[in-house]
Amino acid sequence: MDKLAKLVTDIGKLWANYSGAYLTGIQNTLILAVAATLAGCLIGLVCGVLNTIPCSPSDSPVKRFFLKLLRVIIRIYVEVFRGTPMVLQAVFIFYGLPYFTDGAVAFKGMSGIWAAALIVVSINTGAYMAESVRGGIISIDPGQTEGAKAIGMTHVQTMVHVIMPQALRNIIPQIGNNFIINIKDTSVMFVIGFVEFFATHRNIVGVNLLYFPSAVIEMVGYLTLTLLASFGLRWLEKKMDGDDNYELVSEDSLAMSVGTYSHPSRKTPFDEQSKEFRRKDGSRNG
Amino acid sequence: MDNTILEIKHLSKSFGTHQVLRDIDFTVSKGDVTSIIGASGSGKSTLLRCINLLENPTSGEILYHGQNVVARGFNAPAYRSHVGMVFQSFNLFNNMTVLDNCIVGQVKVLKKNKEEARVHAMEYLEKVGMAPYINAKPRQLSGGQKQRVAVARALAMDPEVLLFDEPTSALDPEMVGEVLTVMRGLAAEGMTMLVVTHEMAFARDVSNHVVYMNSGVICEEGAPQEVFGNPRKQETQDFLSRFRNS
Repeated sequence: MDKLAKLVTDIGKLWANYSGAYLTGIQNTLILAVAATLAGCLIGLVCGVLNTIPCSPSDSPVKRFFLKLLRVIIRIYVEVFRGTPMVLQAVFIFYGLPYFTDGAVAFKGMSGIWAAALIVVSINTGAYMAESVRGGIISIDPGQTEGAKAIGMTHVQTMVHVIMPQALRNIIPQIGNNFIINIKDTSVMFVIGFVEFFATHRNIVGVNLLYFPSAVIEMVGYLTLTLLASFGLRWLEKKMDGDDNYELVSEDSLAMSVGTYSHPSRKTPFDEQSKEFRRKDGSRNG
Repeated sequence: MDNTILEIKHLSKSFGTHQVLRDIDFTVSKGDVTSIIGASGSGKSTLLRCINLLENPTSGEILYHGQNVVARGFNAPAYRSHVGMVFQSFNLFNNMTVLDNCIVGQVKVLKKNKEEARVHAMEYLEKVGMAPYINAKPRQLSGGQKQRVAVARALAMDPEVLLFDEPTSALDPEMVGEVLTVMRGLAAEGMTMLVVTHEMAFARDVSNHVVYMNSGVICEEGAPQEVFGNPRKQETQDFLSRFRNS
Protein backbone atom coordinates (compact mmCIF):
# COMPACT_ATOMS: atom_id res chain seq x y z
CA MET A 1 0.00 0.00 0.00
CA ASP A 2 2.78 2.41 0.93
CA LYS A 3 4.41 1.65 -2.48
CA LEU A 4 1.26 2.86 -4.17
CA ALA A 5 1.17 5.93 -1.98
CA LYS A 6 4.81 6.60 -2.91
CA LEU A 7 3.95 6.22 -6.59
CA VAL A 8 1.13 8.74 -6.26
CA THR A 9 3.39 11.28 -4.53
CA ASP A 10 6.13 10.72 -7.13
CA ILE A 11 3.70 11.25 -9.99
CA GLY A 12 2.36 14.31 -8.20
CA LYS A 13 5.90 15.65 -7.85
CA LEU A 14 6.65 15.02 -11.56
CA TRP A 15 3.40 16.59 -12.68
CA ALA A 16 3.91 19.66 -10.45
CA ASN A 17 7.35 20.29 -11.94
CA TYR A 18 7.00 19.12 -15.54
CA SER A 19 3.32 19.25 -16.49
CA GLY A 20 4.12 21.92 -19.07
CA ALA A 21 6.78 19.72 -20.69
CA TYR A 22 4.48 16.68 -20.77
CA LEU A 23 1.65 18.67 -22.31
CA THR A 24 3.96 20.18 -24.94
CA GLY A 25 5.11 16.61 -25.70
CA ILE A 26 1.51 15.45 -26.13
CA GLN A 27 0.81 18.45 -28.33
CA ASN A 28 3.82 17.73 -30.56
CA THR A 29 2.92 14.05 -30.78
CA LEU A 30 -0.64 14.87 -31.79
CA ILE A 31 0.30 17.51 -34.36
CA LEU A 32 2.86 15.21 -35.96
CA ALA A 33 0.50 12.19 -35.92
CA VAL A 34 -2.45 14.09 -37.38
CA ALA A 35 -0.42 15.90 -40.04
CA ALA A 36 1.52 12.80 -41.07
CA THR A 37 -1.62 10.63 -41.16
CA LEU A 38 -3.38 13.15 -43.39
CA ALA A 39 -0.37 13.53 -45.68
CA GLY A 40 0.14 9.76 -45.68
CA CYS A 41 -3.48 9.18 -46.63
CA LEU A 42 -3.11 11.61 -49.50
CA ILE A 43 0.02 9.83 -50.74
CA GLY A 44 -1.70 6.47 -50.32
CA LEU A 45 -4.79 7.68 -52.13
CA VAL A 46 -2.81 8.92 -55.11
CA CYS A 47 -0.74 5.71 -55.26
CA GLY A 48 -3.79 3.48 -54.84
CA VAL A 49 -5.76 5.27 -57.55
CA LEU A 50 -2.83 5.35 -60.00
CA ASN A 51 -2.20 1.69 -59.29
CA THR A 52 -5.72 0.65 -60.28
CA ILE A 53 -6.00 2.49 -63.60
CA PRO A 54 -7.26 -0.24 -65.93
CA CYS A 55 -4.80 -1.37 -68.57
CA SER A 56 -6.46 -3.23 -71.42
CA PRO A 57 -4.73 -4.86 -74.37
CA SER A 58 -6.57 -2.50 -76.72
CA ASP A 59 -4.84 0.56 -75.24
CA SER A 60 -1.94 2.14 -77.10
CA PRO A 61 1.53 0.69 -76.31
CA VAL A 62 2.74 4.06 -74.96
CA LYS A 63 -0.09 4.22 -72.42
CA ARG A 64 0.50 0.62 -71.42
CA PHE A 65 4.24 1.24 -70.96
CA PHE A 66 3.64 4.23 -68.69
CA LEU A 67 1.03 2.39 -66.65
CA LYS A 68 3.40 -0.54 -66.14
CA LEU A 69 6.23 1.83 -65.20
CA LEU A 70 3.97 3.61 -62.73
CA ARG A 71 3.00 0.35 -61.10
CA VAL A 72 6.64 -0.73 -60.77
CA ILE A 73 7.62 2.59 -59.15
CA ILE A 74 4.76 2.43 -56.66
CA ARG A 75 5.59 -1.20 -55.91
CA ILE A 76 9.22 -0.33 -55.12
CA TYR A 77 8.15 2.59 -52.91
CA VAL A 78 5.71 0.45 -50.96
CA GLU A 79 8.13 -2.45 -50.48
CA VAL A 80 11.05 -0.24 -49.36
CA PHE A 81 9.17 1.90 -46.87
CA ARG A 82 6.97 -0.88 -45.56
CA GLY A 83 9.91 -3.22 -45.25
CA THR A 84 12.36 -1.09 -43.22
CA PRO A 85 12.09 0.30 -39.66
CA MET A 86 10.91 3.89 -39.40
CA VAL A 87 13.78 4.70 -37.00
CA LEU A 88 16.26 3.86 -39.76
CA GLN A 89 14.27 5.76 -42.38
CA ALA A 90 14.47 8.82 -40.13
CA VAL A 91 18.23 8.45 -39.78
CA PHE A 92 18.62 7.89 -43.53
CA ILE A 93 16.76 11.03 -44.49
CA PHE A 94 17.97 13.27 -41.67
CA TYR A 95 21.67 12.42 -42.02
CA GLY A 96 21.66 11.14 -45.59
CA LEU A 97 20.70 14.37 -47.32
CA PRO A 98 23.50 16.50 -45.78
CA TYR A 99 25.95 13.61 -46.32
CA PHE A 100 25.31 13.49 -50.05
CA THR A 101 25.02 17.22 -50.58
CA ASP A 102 28.02 18.14 -48.36
CA GLY A 103 25.70 19.94 -45.98
CA ALA A 104 24.14 22.11 -48.69
CA VAL A 105 20.77 20.53 -48.10
CA ALA A 106 20.21 19.82 -44.43
CA PHE A 107 17.45 19.87 -41.88
CA LYS A 108 18.61 22.75 -39.72
CA GLY A 109 17.15 23.88 -36.41
CA MET A 110 13.77 23.14 -34.93
CA SER A 111 11.87 23.63 -38.20
CA GLY A 112 14.31 21.27 -39.92
CA ILE A 113 13.63 18.56 -37.37
CA TRP A 114 9.89 19.07 -37.74
CA ALA A 115 10.15 18.87 -41.52
CA ALA A 116 12.25 15.69 -41.40
CA ALA A 117 9.90 14.01 -38.91
CA LEU A 118 6.84 14.96 -40.95
CA ILE A 119 8.39 13.68 -44.18
CA VAL A 120 9.48 10.37 -42.68
CA VAL A 121 6.19 9.56 -40.94
CA SER A 122 4.12 10.69 -43.94
CA ILE A 123 6.08 8.62 -46.43
CA ASN A 124 5.93 5.64 -44.13
CA THR A 125 2.16 5.97 -43.61
CA GLY A 126 1.72 6.52 -47.36
CA ALA A 127 3.36 3.17 -48.10
CA TYR A 128 0.87 1.34 -45.89
CA MET A 129 -2.08 3.40 -47.10
CA ALA A 130 -1.22 2.77 -50.77
CA GLU A 131 -1.90 -0.91 -50.20
CA SER A 132 -5.01 -0.22 -48.10
CA VAL A 133 -6.47 2.06 -50.76
CA ARG A 134 -5.68 -0.43 -53.52
CA GLY A 135 -7.36 -3.14 -51.45
CA GLY A 136 -10.33 -0.85 -50.81
CA ILE A 137 -10.75 -0.18 -54.50
CA ILE A 138 -10.49 -3.77 -55.69
CA SER A 139 -12.83 -4.93 -52.92
CA ILE A 140 -15.72 -2.98 -54.48
CA ASP A 141 -17.97 -5.28 -56.51
CA PRO A 142 -16.99 -5.09 -60.22
CA GLY A 143 -20.72 -4.73 -60.88
CA GLN A 144 -20.50 -1.17 -59.55
CA THR A 145 -17.94 -0.30 -62.22
CA GLU A 146 -19.99 -2.03 -64.90
CA GLY A 147 -23.13 -0.19 -63.83
CA ALA A 148 -21.28 3.10 -64.10
CA LYS A 149 -19.70 2.23 -67.44
CA ALA A 150 -23.07 1.13 -68.80
CA ILE A 151 -24.52 4.62 -68.36
CA GLY A 152 -21.52 6.10 -70.14
CA MET A 153 -19.30 7.20 -67.27
CA THR A 154 -15.57 7.49 -67.94
CA HIS A 155 -13.02 5.84 -65.64
CA VAL A 156 -12.43 9.11 -63.77
CA GLN A 157 -16.16 9.75 -63.27
CA THR A 158 -16.66 6.16 -62.12
CA MET A 159 -13.86 6.49 -59.59
CA VAL A 160 -14.95 9.88 -58.25
CA HIS A 161 -18.68 9.30 -57.98
CA VAL A 162 -19.09 5.57 -57.45
CA ILE A 163 -15.98 3.66 -56.42
CA MET A 164 -14.02 6.02 -54.17
CA PRO A 165 -16.93 6.99 -51.89
CA GLN A 166 -17.48 3.30 -51.20
CA ALA A 167 -13.79 2.41 -51.02
CA LEU A 168 -13.04 5.29 -48.63
CA ARG A 169 -15.81 4.16 -46.32
CA ASN A 170 -14.27 0.69 -46.29
CA ILE A 171 -10.73 1.90 -45.52
CA ILE A 172 -11.67 4.19 -42.62
CA PRO A 173 -10.79 1.42 -40.13
CA GLN A 174 -7.36 1.26 -41.82
CA ILE A 175 -6.95 5.02 -41.57
CA GLY A 176 -7.82 4.74 -37.89
CA ASN A 177 -5.27 1.96 -37.48
CA ASN A 178 -2.57 4.08 -39.06
CA PHE A 179 -3.47 7.11 -36.98
CA ILE A 180 -3.20 5.12 -33.76
CA ILE A 181 0.05 3.53 -34.90
CA ASN A 182 1.35 7.00 -35.72
CA ILE A 183 0.46 8.37 -32.27
CA LYS A 184 2.64 5.66 -30.77
CA ASP A 185 5.35 5.26 -33.38
CA THR A 186 6.19 8.93 -33.70
CA SER A 187 8.07 8.19 -30.46
CA VAL A 188 10.98 6.85 -32.52
CA MET A 189 11.54 10.35 -33.89
CA PHE A 190 13.66 11.06 -30.79
CA VAL A 191 16.61 9.72 -32.86
CA ILE A 192 16.61 12.92 -34.88
CA GLY A 193 15.96 15.09 -31.82
CA PHE A 194 12.24 15.55 -32.24
CA VAL A 195 10.77 16.31 -28.80
CA GLU A 196 7.42 14.55 -28.63
CA PHE A 197 5.70 12.84 -25.70
CA PHE A 198 8.16 9.97 -25.27
CA ALA A 199 11.22 12.18 -25.79
CA THR A 200 9.87 14.38 -23.01
CA HIS A 201 9.94 11.34 -20.72
CA ARG A 202 13.57 10.62 -21.66
CA ASN A 203 14.54 14.21 -20.93
CA ILE A 204 12.74 14.32 -17.58
CA VAL A 205 13.95 11.00 -16.18
CA GLY A 206 17.48 11.89 -17.26
CA VAL A 207 17.36 14.58 -14.59
CA ASN A 208 15.55 12.92 -11.65
CA LEU A 209 15.71 9.17 -12.39
CA LEU A 210 11.98 8.67 -11.61
CA TYR A 211 11.73 6.12 -14.45
CA PHE A 212 8.66 4.23 -13.37
CA PRO A 213 6.38 7.10 -12.23
CA SER A 214 7.12 8.95 -15.45
CA ALA A 215 6.40 5.80 -17.46
CA VAL A 216 2.99 5.58 -15.75
CA ILE A 217 2.21 9.12 -16.88
CA GLU A 218 3.31 8.17 -20.41
CA MET A 219 1.16 5.02 -20.44
CA VAL A 220 -1.95 6.86 -19.28
CA GLY A 221 -1.24 9.68 -21.73
CA TYR A 222 -0.79 7.44 -24.77
CA LEU A 223 -3.81 5.31 -23.91
CA THR A 224 -5.99 8.40 -23.52
CA LEU A 225 -4.90 9.67 -26.93
CA THR A 226 -5.49 6.37 -28.71
CA LEU A 227 -8.86 5.77 -27.03
CA LEU A 228 -10.06 9.22 -28.02
CA ALA A 229 -8.90 8.54 -31.58
CA SER A 230 -10.78 5.21 -31.62
CA PHE A 231 -14.02 6.78 -30.42
CA GLY A 232 -13.71 9.64 -32.87
CA LEU A 233 -13.23 7.29 -35.82
CA ARG A 234 -16.15 5.06 -34.80
CA TRP A 235 -18.35 8.15 -34.68
CA LEU A 236 -17.14 9.18 -38.13
CA GLU A 237 -17.92 5.71 -39.52
CA LYS A 238 -21.43 5.82 -38.12
CA LYS A 239 -21.98 9.26 -39.55
CA MET A 240 -20.82 8.17 -43.01
CA ASP A 241 -23.16 5.17 -43.04
CA GLY A 242 -26.14 7.47 -42.70
CA ASP A 243 -29.57 6.73 -41.36
CA ASP A 244 -30.99 3.23 -41.67
CA ASN A 245 -34.50 4.58 -42.09
CA TYR A 246 -36.05 6.22 -45.08
CA GLU A 247 -39.38 7.89 -45.76
CA LEU A 248 -41.86 6.60 -48.30
CA VAL A 249 -43.02 9.46 -50.44
CA SER A 250 -46.30 7.72 -51.35
CA GLU A 251 -47.58 4.20 -52.05
CA ASP A 252 -45.78 1.73 -54.29
CA SER A 253 -48.31 0.71 -56.89
CA LEU A 254 -46.41 -2.21 -58.42
CA ALA A 255 -44.94 -4.05 -55.44
CA MET A 256 -46.71 -7.34 -54.66
CA SER A 257 -48.74 -7.00 -57.84
CA VAL A 258 -48.36 -10.76 -58.19
CA GLY A 259 -48.48 -11.88 -54.58
CA THR A 260 -51.74 -10.27 -53.53
CA TYR A 261 -53.90 -10.75 -56.56
CA SER A 262 -57.48 -10.46 -55.42
CA HIS A 263 -60.44 -11.89 -57.23
CA PRO A 264 -63.57 -9.75 -56.83
CA SER A 265 -65.65 -12.52 -55.28
CA ARG A 266 -62.86 -14.62 -53.79
CA LYS A 267 -60.88 -11.81 -52.18
CA THR A 268 -57.21 -12.77 -51.82
CA PRO A 269 -56.08 -16.35 -52.45
CA PHE A 270 -54.94 -16.58 -48.82
CA ASP A 271 -58.07 -15.93 -46.78
CA GLU A 272 -60.61 -18.47 -45.54
CA GLN A 273 -63.42 -17.39 -47.78
CA SER A 274 -61.44 -18.03 -50.92
CA LYS A 275 -60.46 -21.52 -49.73
CA GLU A 276 -64.11 -22.42 -49.23
CA PHE A 277 -64.95 -20.99 -52.59
CA ARG A 278 -62.34 -23.18 -54.24
CA ARG A 279 -63.52 -26.28 -52.44
CA LYS A 280 -67.09 -25.79 -53.62
CA ASP A 281 -65.92 -24.91 -57.07
CA GLY A 282 -63.81 -28.07 -57.20
CA SER A 283 -61.80 -26.88 -60.16
CA ARG A 284 -58.74 -25.96 -58.07
CA ASN A 285 -56.86 -27.87 -55.44
CA GLY A 286 -57.63 -26.05 -52.19
CA MET B 1 -31.35 0.82 -93.67
CA ASP B 2 -32.45 4.01 -91.94
CA ASN B 3 -34.09 2.17 -89.10
CA THR B 4 -31.08 0.01 -88.34
CA ILE B 5 -29.49 0.89 -85.00
CA LEU B 6 -27.09 -1.96 -84.42
CA GLU B 7 -25.56 -4.32 -86.89
CA ILE B 8 -23.43 -7.17 -85.62
CA LYS B 9 -21.12 -8.72 -88.17
CA HIS B 10 -19.05 -11.88 -87.77
CA LEU B 11 -18.66 -11.28 -84.05
CA SER B 12 -16.42 -13.75 -82.21
CA LYS B 13 -15.18 -13.81 -78.65
CA SER B 14 -12.70 -16.11 -76.96
CA PHE B 15 -11.61 -16.31 -73.35
CA GLY B 16 -8.16 -17.81 -73.75
CA THR B 17 -8.56 -20.92 -75.86
CA HIS B 18 -12.25 -21.20 -75.06
CA GLN B 19 -14.35 -19.76 -77.86
CA VAL B 20 -17.60 -18.40 -76.43
CA LEU B 21 -19.05 -16.70 -79.50
CA ARG B 22 -18.58 -17.78 -83.10
CA ASP B 23 -19.39 -15.67 -86.10
CA ILE B 24 -22.51 -13.97 -84.77
CA ASP B 25 -24.54 -11.92 -87.27
CA PHE B 26 -27.69 -10.05 -86.54
CA THR B 27 -29.35 -6.68 -86.75
CA VAL B 28 -31.35 -4.56 -84.32
CA SER B 29 -33.77 -2.07 -85.88
CA LYS B 30 -35.72 0.70 -84.23
CA GLY B 31 -38.68 -0.64 -82.26
CA ASP B 32 -37.46 -4.23 -82.28
CA VAL B 33 -37.93 -6.30 -79.16
CA THR B 34 -35.44 -9.11 -79.60
CA SER B 35 -35.28 -11.98 -77.15
CA ILE B 36 -32.14 -14.06 -76.98
CA ILE B 37 -32.83 -17.48 -75.53
CA GLY B 38 -30.69 -20.54 -75.02
CA ALA B 39 -29.15 -22.79 -72.38
CA SER B 40 -26.80 -21.41 -69.74
CA GLY B 41 -23.28 -21.10 -71.12
CA SER B 42 -24.41 -20.69 -74.70
CA GLY B 43 -22.90 -17.20 -74.87
CA LYS B 44 -26.04 -15.08 -74.58
CA SER B 45 -24.75 -12.81 -71.83
CA THR B 46 -21.31 -12.53 -73.41
CA LEU B 47 -22.96 -11.39 -76.65
CA LEU B 48 -24.84 -8.68 -74.78
CA ARG B 49 -21.72 -7.61 -72.89
CA CYS B 50 -19.79 -7.41 -76.17
CA ILE B 51 -22.47 -5.17 -77.65
CA ASN B 52 -22.03 -2.77 -74.73
CA LEU B 53 -18.23 -3.15 -74.91
CA LEU B 54 -18.03 -4.49 -71.38
CA GLU B 55 -16.15 -7.31 -73.10
CA ASN B 56 -13.82 -6.70 -76.00
CA PRO B 57 -14.81 -8.88 -78.96
CA THR B 58 -11.94 -10.96 -80.33
CA SER B 59 -12.95 -10.28 -83.91
CA GLY B 60 -15.84 -8.96 -85.95
CA GLU B 61 -17.63 -5.66 -86.10
CA ILE B 62 -20.43 -3.97 -84.22
CA LEU B 63 -21.88 -1.14 -86.28
CA TYR B 64 -23.84 1.54 -84.44
CA HIS B 65 -25.53 3.66 -87.11
CA GLY B 66 -22.84 2.44 -89.46
CA GLN B 67 -19.94 3.31 -87.13
CA ASN B 68 -17.71 0.47 -85.98
CA VAL B 69 -17.63 0.69 -82.20
CA VAL B 70 -14.93 -1.97 -81.86
CA ALA B 71 -12.39 0.16 -83.72
CA ARG B 72 -9.42 1.41 -81.69
CA GLY B 73 -9.86 4.95 -80.40
CA PHE B 74 -13.65 4.81 -80.51
CA ASN B 75 -15.30 6.82 -77.74
CA ALA B 76 -16.80 3.94 -75.77
CA PRO B 77 -18.34 5.99 -72.90
CA ALA B 78 -20.29 8.21 -75.34
CA TYR B 79 -21.54 5.14 -77.19
CA ARG B 80 -22.57 3.41 -73.96
CA SER B 81 -24.66 6.41 -72.95
CA HIS B 82 -26.88 5.67 -75.98
CA VAL B 83 -27.10 1.96 -75.25
CA GLY B 84 -28.59 1.30 -71.83
CA MET B 85 -28.02 -1.90 -69.93
CA VAL B 86 -29.90 -3.65 -67.14
CA PHE B 87 -27.93 -6.31 -65.31
CA GLN B 88 -28.87 -9.57 -63.69
CA SER B 89 -27.38 -8.35 -60.40
CA PHE B 90 -28.89 -4.82 -60.67
CA ASN B 91 -25.58 -3.01 -60.11
CA LEU B 92 -27.19 0.02 -58.53
CA PHE B 93 -24.71 2.42 -56.95
CA ASN B 94 -24.72 1.44 -53.30
CA ASN B 95 -23.51 4.82 -52.09
CA MET B 96 -26.44 6.74 -53.56
CA THR B 97 -30.16 6.97 -52.98
CA VAL B 98 -32.63 5.70 -55.57
CA LEU B 99 -33.09 9.20 -56.95
CA ASP B 100 -29.35 9.95 -57.14
CA ASN B 101 -28.83 6.66 -58.96
CA CYS B 102 -31.09 7.96 -61.71
CA ILE B 103 -29.66 11.49 -61.71
CA VAL B 104 -25.89 10.98 -61.61
CA GLY B 105 -25.59 9.76 -65.19
CA GLN B 106 -27.70 12.56 -66.60
CA VAL B 107 -25.71 15.22 -64.76
CA LYS B 108 -22.20 13.83 -65.21
CA VAL B 109 -22.47 12.21 -68.63
CA LEU B 110 -25.24 14.13 -70.41
CA LYS B 111 -24.31 17.40 -68.61
CA LYS B 112 -27.90 18.25 -67.75
CA ASN B 113 -28.58 20.57 -64.84
CA LYS B 114 -29.65 18.97 -61.62
CA GLU B 115 -33.26 20.12 -61.53
CA GLU B 116 -33.92 19.05 -65.10
CA ALA B 117 -32.34 15.67 -64.34
CA ARG B 118 -34.45 15.27 -61.22
CA VAL B 119 -37.71 15.90 -63.07
CA HIS B 120 -36.68 13.50 -65.82
CA ALA B 121 -35.66 10.82 -63.30
CA MET B 122 -38.94 11.17 -61.41
CA GLU B 123 -40.86 10.63 -64.63
CA TYR B 124 -39.24 7.20 -65.10
CA LEU B 125 -39.27 6.28 -61.42
CA GLU B 126 -43.01 6.87 -61.47
CA LYS B 127 -43.33 4.74 -64.57
CA VAL B 128 -41.66 1.78 -62.82
CA GLY B 129 -43.59 2.44 -59.61
CA MET B 130 -40.54 3.36 -57.56
CA ALA B 131 -41.33 7.03 -56.98
CA PRO B 132 -42.22 6.42 -53.30
CA TYR B 133 -38.72 5.07 -52.64
CA ILE B 134 -36.57 7.90 -53.98
CA ASN B 135 -34.91 8.44 -50.60
CA ALA B 136 -34.06 4.78 -50.00
CA LYS B 137 -30.61 3.28 -50.46
CA PRO B 138 -30.32 0.16 -52.65
CA ARG B 139 -29.54 -2.07 -49.63
CA GLN B 140 -32.99 -1.23 -48.23
CA LEU B 141 -34.88 -2.49 -51.30
CA SER B 142 -36.07 -5.91 -52.44
CA GLY B 143 -34.63 -7.48 -55.57
CA GLY B 144 -37.62 -6.61 -57.72
CA GLN B 145 -37.57 -3.02 -56.53
CA LYS B 146 -33.83 -2.74 -57.23
CA GLN B 147 -34.33 -4.04 -60.74
CA ARG B 148 -37.10 -1.54 -61.39
CA VAL B 149 -34.81 1.27 -60.24
CA ALA B 150 -32.10 -0.12 -62.53
CA VAL B 151 -34.55 0.06 -65.44
CA ALA B 152 -35.43 3.65 -64.51
CA ARG B 153 -31.73 4.54 -64.27
CA ALA B 154 -31.11 3.16 -67.76
CA LEU B 155 -34.23 4.87 -69.18
CA ALA B 156 -33.32 8.24 -67.65
CA MET B 157 -30.37 8.36 -70.05
CA ASP B 158 -32.84 8.28 -72.97
CA PRO B 159 -31.07 5.37 -74.66
CA GLU B 160 -31.79 4.28 -78.20
CA VAL B 161 -31.54 0.62 -77.28
CA LEU B 162 -31.95 -1.04 -73.92
CA LEU B 163 -30.06 -4.26 -73.24
CA PHE B 164 -31.40 -6.61 -70.57
CA ASP B 165 -29.04 -9.27 -69.24
CA GLU B 166 -31.30 -11.87 -67.59
CA PRO B 167 -33.16 -9.18 -65.65
CA THR B 168 -35.30 -11.60 -63.69
CA SER B 169 -32.89 -14.49 -63.06
CA ALA B 170 -31.73 -13.24 -59.67
CA LEU B 171 -35.24 -12.52 -58.41
CA ASP B 172 -37.57 -14.48 -56.18
CA PRO B 173 -40.52 -15.83 -58.16
CA GLU B 174 -43.01 -13.38 -56.67
CA MET B 175 -40.88 -10.44 -57.82
CA VAL B 176 -40.44 -11.58 -61.42
CA GLY B 177 -43.91 -10.32 -62.28
CA GLU B 178 -43.31 -6.71 -61.30
CA VAL B 179 -40.20 -6.44 -63.47
CA LEU B 180 -41.79 -8.18 -66.45
CA THR B 181 -44.78 -5.84 -66.15
CA VAL B 182 -42.44 -2.88 -66.50
CA MET B 183 -40.68 -4.47 -69.48
CA ARG B 184 -43.98 -5.25 -71.21
CA GLY B 185 -44.98 -1.61 -70.78
CA LEU B 186 -41.72 -0.46 -72.37
CA ALA B 187 -42.15 -2.81 -75.31
CA ALA B 188 -45.69 -1.55 -75.85
CA GLU B 189 -44.37 2.01 -76.00
CA GLY B 190 -42.02 1.07 -78.81
CA MET B 191 -38.72 0.95 -76.89
CA THR B 192 -36.02 -0.92 -78.77
CA MET B 193 -34.99 -3.77 -76.53
CA LEU B 194 -32.56 -6.67 -76.62
CA VAL B 195 -33.41 -9.14 -73.89
CA VAL B 196 -31.44 -12.16 -72.78
CA THR B 197 -33.98 -14.20 -70.86
CA HIS B 198 -35.11 -17.54 -69.55
CA GLU B 199 -38.72 -16.31 -69.41
CA MET B 200 -40.10 -18.16 -72.43
CA ALA B 201 -43.58 -16.67 -72.05
CA PHE B 202 -42.07 -13.19 -72.24
CA ALA B 203 -39.98 -14.09 -75.29
CA ARG B 204 -43.02 -15.57 -77.01
CA ASP B 205 -45.62 -12.93 -76.17
CA VAL B 206 -43.70 -9.66 -76.02
CA SER B 207 -40.84 -9.86 -78.50
CA ASN B 208 -41.15 -9.63 -82.25
CA HIS B 209 -37.87 -11.40 -82.91
CA VAL B 210 -36.42 -14.43 -81.16
CA VAL B 211 -32.80 -15.58 -81.36
CA TYR B 212 -31.96 -19.06 -80.13
CA MET B 213 -28.29 -19.51 -79.27
CA ASN B 214 -26.53 -22.80 -78.81
CA SER B 215 -22.83 -23.20 -77.90
CA GLY B 216 -21.76 -19.79 -79.16
CA VAL B 217 -23.63 -19.65 -82.46
CA ILE B 218 -27.05 -18.42 -83.50
CA CYS B 219 -28.84 -21.69 -84.10
CA GLU B 220 -32.18 -20.32 -85.18
CA GLU B 221 -33.88 -16.95 -85.34
CA GLY B 222 -37.14 -15.53 -86.53
CA ALA B 223 -40.56 -14.37 -85.43
CA PRO B 224 -41.67 -15.87 -82.09
CA GLN B 225 -44.53 -17.75 -83.73
CA GLU B 226 -42.05 -19.53 -86.00
CA VAL B 227 -39.37 -20.29 -83.41
CA PHE B 228 -41.81 -21.39 -80.71
CA GLY B 229 -44.58 -22.79 -82.91
CA ASN B 230 -42.60 -24.46 -85.60
CA PRO B 231 -38.86 -24.76 -84.77
CA ARG B 232 -36.86 -25.97 -87.75
CA LYS B 233 -33.75 -27.21 -85.98
CA GLN B 234 -33.57 -30.27 -83.77
CA GLU B 235 -31.58 -28.35 -81.08
CA THR B 236 -34.29 -25.72 -80.83
CA GLN B 237 -36.99 -28.37 -80.49
CA ASP B 238 -35.05 -30.13 -77.73
CA PHE B 239 -34.43 -26.88 -75.89
CA LEU B 240 -38.05 -25.77 -76.08
CA SER B 241 -39.47 -29.15 -75.15
CA ARG B 242 -37.62 -28.96 -71.83
CA PHE B 243 -39.62 -25.84 -71.03
CA ARG B 244 -42.94 -27.27 -72.17
CA ASN B 245 -42.60 -30.30 -69.94
CA SER B 246 -41.79 -28.33 -66.83
